[in-house]
Amino acid sequence: MTPEVPAVLSEVAQLLARNAQPGMPEPERANALTLASMLLALAAETWDGAAEMLVQENRAVAGLLGDAAAEGGLRLSALRAENARLRGLLIDAHVAAEATGDTARQKAIWAELRASTERRKLSISLV
Amino acid sequence: MPEATDVEVSGLERISGGASRETYRFRLAWRQAGQEHARQLILRRDPPASLIDTERRVEFAAYRAFHGSAVPVPRMLWLEEADDALDHPFFIAEELTGYQASPQLLFGGGYDAVLPRVAERKWAILGEIARADPVALGLEQVMEAPALDACWRRELDHWEAIFDSDEAEPQPIARAAIRWLRANPPPPAQKLSVVHGDYRTGNFLYDEQGEIHGVLDWEMAHLGDPLEDLAWGFNPVWQFGRGLAGGLVPRDEAVAIWRRASGLEVDPAALHWWILFNCVKGQGIWVGSARAFIDGGNREPIMVYAAWWLLNAQDRAILQVMGKL
Repeated sequence: MTPEVPAVLSEVAQLLARNAQPGMPEPERANALTLASMLLALAAETWDGAAEMLVQENRAVAGLLGDAAAEGGLRLSALRAENARLRGLLIDAHVAAEATGDTARQKAIWAELRASTERRKLSISLV
Repeated sequence: MPEATDVEVSGLERISGGASRETYRFRLAWRQAGQEHARQLILRRDPPASLIDTERRVEFAAYRAFHGSAVPVPRMLWLEEADDALDHPFFIAEELTGYQASPQLLFGGGYDAVLPRVAERKWAILGEIARADPVALGLEQVMEAPALDACWRRELDHWEAIFDSDEAEPQPIARAAIRWLRANPPPPAQKLSVVHGDYRTGNFLYDEQGEIHGVLDWEMAHLGDPLEDLAWGFNPVWQFGRGLAGGLVPRDEAVAIWRRASGLEVDPAALHWWILFNCVKGQGIWVGSARAFIDGGNREPIMVYAAWWLLNAQDRAILQVMGKL
């Protein structure tokens, strides 16, 4: 997810510390804690599957592009960087397929894009 | 208020939400001509970095233009564009008290009987906005007036530039949608209208009878194609998972209400273009929200929640509108 989870959890930790202090206006405290709880719930929902999702997607996109997925490590930050590289190349491939009228290629790219939204779909997704 | 003395601010309280402006309510009391006065007011202040970057003068002017018309809005009182008083520009308005704005409350069950009335008022008011003459309202003095055949391009250019500057990662779905929009432009606007820019369930005040008492959040107001405003509410994310336009009624009913109120026509192909455009615009807003947090300009949790909750949902909405989901 963007922004990345570690940066957000760090911010939520500071938010909770501030709101643990006496003297915070109650409506502001309630609002801050409600939003913090919602962010924590989303982080919890995505945490276990985050690495698997990125590895699966990087393999799928690399396969579609005929590109060797770079093995930059298993940290989420490394997997995300590789994912961004590959999805940038996927945009180029999509543009090229449209320019040449390669409908089979376009169809395959749309299928991958649809799959990418299934991988990222949250339990609270509106669509 | 040059004649006022004993001016006192009390009950200052921040209102939740407000990712583009910080919003506070407070009570202002003062003495004038030997009499005590008090008013309940709203302060809207620019945050250090926003989910959307807009001119508060434009928002202020839009509210003022419609005050007292068939489009209910709170009364604007003062605008301060300098930073020295409260660190950031702000404006102050009268508070409309006793009403609700929350979509969650509206769709929580207690308002089911009045949802058709809310829908009637929602799209009738939007029709009034579309019908209004921007020149007669004086808004061409603060808003650029594009040619009728240039409305779509100006908006698309603006939001594509947001992706260019703000995206933290490639957006292959939104980029594909932008290419399609450029290759398949809509016909010229049938008239130049005021476009609220964020007219959706959640940005108006309603009561238990389903009446609407105030249209809020005009920070993206501009002049353009009236279909843009109609289509924003048809962005699938604003169905709130209910499968109805704005979570309220089938789209055809909403369009019929709007047509009656505005006196304007709705070309289905043009409406489709603007719905897809608004999906791209929505994604531009969520991308900008993430960027504001990443750059440290605004570390409010709402900036993250908007991005986490809606980036992928908006991608799915784009796919749905393009017939790819």
